[in-house]
Amino acid sequence: MAEMWINMGPQHPMTHGLWNLRIKVDGETITDAEPEVGYLHRGIEKICENRTYTQILPIADRLCYGASLSWNHLYCRTVEDLMGIEVPERAQYLRVAALEMQRIASHLMWLAAYAADLGMMIGFIYAMRDREIFIDLLQSLTGSRITYNFCRIGGVAHDVPPDFERDSLRACDYMEKKIREYYDLYEGSKVFMMRNVGVGVLTKEDAMNLGVTGPPLRASGVRYDLRKDMPYESYPEIDFQPITHPDGDCYARYCVRMEEMLESCKIIRQALQRMPKGKWRVLAPRNAPIGTGLGRVEDPRGEGMMYVVGDGTDRPYRLKIRSPIFVTVSAAKRMLVGYKVADVVAIMGGLDMCIGEADR
Amino acid sequence: MNLYEFSYGIIHWLVDLVNHLWYWLGSWLPGGLGDFFDDVGNFAASHSNISVFAIVLEAIIMFVIILVNVLNFIWIDRKFMGRMFDFYGPYYVGYRIGGWLQNLADGMKLFVKEIIVPAKADRFGYLLAPVIFVGSSIAILAAIPLSPKFAILTSPTDTGVPAGVLFAFAMFAIAPFSILVAGWASNNKYTLIGGMRSAAQMMSYEIPLLLCVASVVVLAGGFSFFEVVEAQRTVWFAIPLVIGFVVFIICMFAEVEVQPFDLPEAEAELVEGWTTEYSGMRFGLFMMTSYLRGYCAGALITALFLGGWIGPSFIPGPIWFLIKAYIVFVIVEWARWSLPRVRIDQLLNIGWKRLMPLAIVNLMIAVALKSLGWF
Amino acid sequence: MAEAKKRPVGDATGIAVRPIKRTGAQVVRSLILGKPNTILYPYQKLNLPPSYRGKHILDFKRCIGCSNCVQICPNDCMWMQKLEDPELGKIERPGIDMGRCLFCGLCVEVCPTVALHEGVQFELADRDRAKIKFDPRDLRDDHYADTVKEERQKRLIPVLDLDKCSGCEKCAGECPEMCIAMMSIEGTGKKKPEIALARCKEEGKCTVVCPDKALQMKEVWESYFEMPEPKFVLKNCTGCGACARACPADAIYMMDMPGTEKALPGGKKGKPKKRAVFVLEKCVGCGKCFRSCKFKAIEMPGVRK
Repeated sequence: MAEMWINMGPQHPMTHGLWNLRIKVDGETITDAEPEVGYLHRGIEKICENRTYTQILPIADRLCYGASLSWNHLYCRTVEDLMGIEVPERAQYLRVAALEMQRIASHLMWLAAYAADLGMMIGFIYAMRDREIFIDLLQSLTGSRITYNFCRIGGVAHDVPPDFERDSLRACDYMEKKIREYYDLYEGSKVFMMRNVGVGVLTKEDAMNLGVTGPPLRASGVRYDLRKDMPYESYPEIDFQPITHPDGDCYARYCVRMEEMLESCKIIRQALQRMPKGKWRVLAPRNAPIGTGLGRVEDPRGEGMMYVVGDGTDRPYRLKIRSPIFVTVSAAKRMLVGYKVADVVAIMGGLDMCIGEADR
Repeated sequence: MNLYEFSYGIIHWLVDLVNHLWYWLGSWLPGGLGDFFDDVGNFAASHSNISVFAIVLEAIIMFVIILVNVLNFIWIDRKFMGRMFDFYGPYYVGYRIGGWLQNLADGMKLFVKEIIVPAKADRFGYLLAPVIFVGSSIAILAAIPLSPKFAILTSPTDTGVPAGVLFAFAMFAIAPFSILVAGWASNNKYTLIGGMRSAAQMMSYEIPLLLCVASVVVLAGGFSFFEVVEAQRTVWFAIPLVIGFVVFIICMFAEVEVQPFDLPEAEAELVEGWTTEYSGMRFGLFMMTSYLRGYCAGALITALFLGGWIGPSFIPGPIWFLIKAYIVFVIVEWARWSLPRVRIDQLLNIGWKRLMPLAIVNLMIAVALKSLGWF
Repeated sequence: MAEAKKRPVGDATGIAVRPIKRTGAQVVRSLILGKPNTILYPYQKLNLPPSYRGKHILDFKRCIGCSNCVQICPNDCMWMQKLEDPELGKIERPGIDMGRCLFCGLCVEVCPTVALHEGVQFELADRDRAKIKFDPRDLRDDHYADTVKEERQKRLIPVLDLDKCSGCEKCAGECPEMCIAMMSIEGTGKKKPEIALARCKEEGKCTVVCPDKALQMKEVWESYFEMPEPKFVLKNCTGCGACARACPADAIYMMDMPGTEKALPGGKKGKPKKRAVFVLEKCVGCGKCFRSCKFKAIEMPGVRK
């Protein structure tokens, strides 16, 4: 068959989010790939120029609806950097605990979608069922299930509800038991291993050169985790390890995310144990000073960054958002060339794409 | 009393009833017409005529019974899958009988959908493909007996036709042809690829399938279902031919297109499957036939490997057969929902490189056992 | 650095055994427990925590009509509606368009009197878009606030009623923290106490000693948002009193400026000009005065109109 370009179009039942992947196939083998994003562009950076700093909080949530607490927190850090605010300790520990719960929920949603792509409905249902536990916890803490709007500039919105610590520790125990069950379902089945081992290899040099961050980078062997390298909030006081894996294939990315969930359980336990009593919020000034602020956090999908320019009024002059998926998806060509069409789903699913943040 | 005699009796009674009225009517008519009526009545009551209708009634009875079982299969599938996935299966429709009426509700829904034929589709192929697919799958039912007395293809002395197994597998293997036609005639790049993949999958798994059947036939000594099941009176063939049993089950997975081998049907990647362009009851027929082939697979496994209708006599033969077929089906479903999908090239690899040598080894074992005189 | 642990991988015998064992265990568990993990939705309802953000509930009596909620809404889904209430007279209360609402909860947080709450009702779907735009009367429930636990902290602050104050300076001398300073009101020749609320320790000595009962301790809710403060420009003030009528928190008083009476023909003296005086402890930062002044006598620095 001659070589032809195929559109895994904007309308497709199994691509996560609204984007287009053009692949050039020669029979069943892929020879070239070109991702096209931009179908979900909502003009968020421009919207933010016309809103006050407080009004942008719920909008920053909706950048990536899969891990919304992470983006809300990133925005708060950026503006706190601009205004020079010091967040009280209780708020820092509470933010860390909520962020790690959000990380577990995001990774579980990735697992569910990944299993559904590979044809295992059972993986989808089990992962979503366990994600409900964490979403319920965050619901009792913040009041909403997906777009939390929990962090405020200067702390968190309100204090923990009663029984929150007890329920979170129970949820962590439950999660650790369930991850061992997942090993049976996924790694115990030779079919899953056949589809993932050796597929979509991204070498260390390629990953570093292309600017890939997050679990795909750590799965290629590079030890780079912003929580350890440029720690923020109360991460310096918490004892945990970033996970890496030497091969760069789909199985490595899967392993890295599963182990990250276990590490998150450890982090939640330590954060809730060490949380001191006290204030959870300080008053933030309304008008920002003239200057710039920068925030960088480790999002479940990679390194997220925001940059804000203040001009003395209560609205930002410019808010710039750096999304990890926007950069990682440009590595698609390196990862896809040479594999079969049927591997596209496994490879692109392994990157955990959330187009909301890529297109802003 | 076997099935033929039962249906013969019913048709005979029915024809007699109608003939009473017919002759009485004819007696009121003038001469020539009255004779004509008498001739028609005599012809209707003649043996050859009644036997034709008796066969038709047999087929209808068998078809209805198997269809009800297929509905049961669909219900068990959804309930069992539900419990595996930690939710209820069908729950509200037919609340007191556990949601069994959901099947009928779904069927009615499919009836009222709009039937669309794509404008540029090849009309003849498009309309022919379901006919072949459904027709050939139902024809398998004629060949598989539920017990010596409950069979369509049989002889007057209940010994079965000499080529029952061959006929069943021949009908089973017509399906890839109709899938190709359906994929091509839909005028859709993706259904074409799906149809080709499906045909490749089914054809490459026919070979280990038929090799296992050959090993069973070697041990049983004949191609008829009755001979095969009778040869299992002492021990079921699943025990000496264990390798063949496992290979046969895996090949049946691929033939019936259930996960982990359902690539043509539920493709996530590129293709939506060869049934994309069919809507309404045509699509419903495809789904039903898919489950019907699942039943046939279970029935064939039972008949060839698990002893068919042989069991303690407090339960009649056909019920044993159905019980065993249900158990096989439940195991197939269990494996179906637990495993991910296999990629097309890995699938063909498994078929040609792993299963065929195993099937050949199995055949060698069967020949060895037969020549040792143990069967 | 932690290497992801190498775990035993499915081998030839375990091609399908381990996942099948896992799903089989789930079936058995589900059958033994009897009930799977499903909430049969229309017949069984979800148990939502009290902090859930659903449909809003408005307390007409607590609301002062300041429109802070309308201004902070990121999506412009609220508007102030003028109403006639038999008990409360002519009032302005907010209405919400649930079709645009984000359920973010900012309006609840910014309300100075905690008059707006978000309840647990989330089943708001309708076939008619006009039915999702809720009038303030549809949101009204004056007793809801008594049933929920107060999330926000309260504090006591001394609140000044300028009409009663005589400028005697007794409160400034009494305060142990030296929070009160008597500042003169430009143009009127009178003085008024300015209270530094950040230093107030809520002791209340200033209220005890006031002879005119102008200073009272009032319980207010803590606010975590810094609201804009109005700045007064005396030069432009004409004494029209629009700001005093617009202020929902009674923070603006009109005082006479003696010595500005115009000489009328016939030897009589006209009425003195008035000026606006701000009691900023009561100010909720709504900006109604800023918007009502047509003479540019009030400025809110840093706020775009």
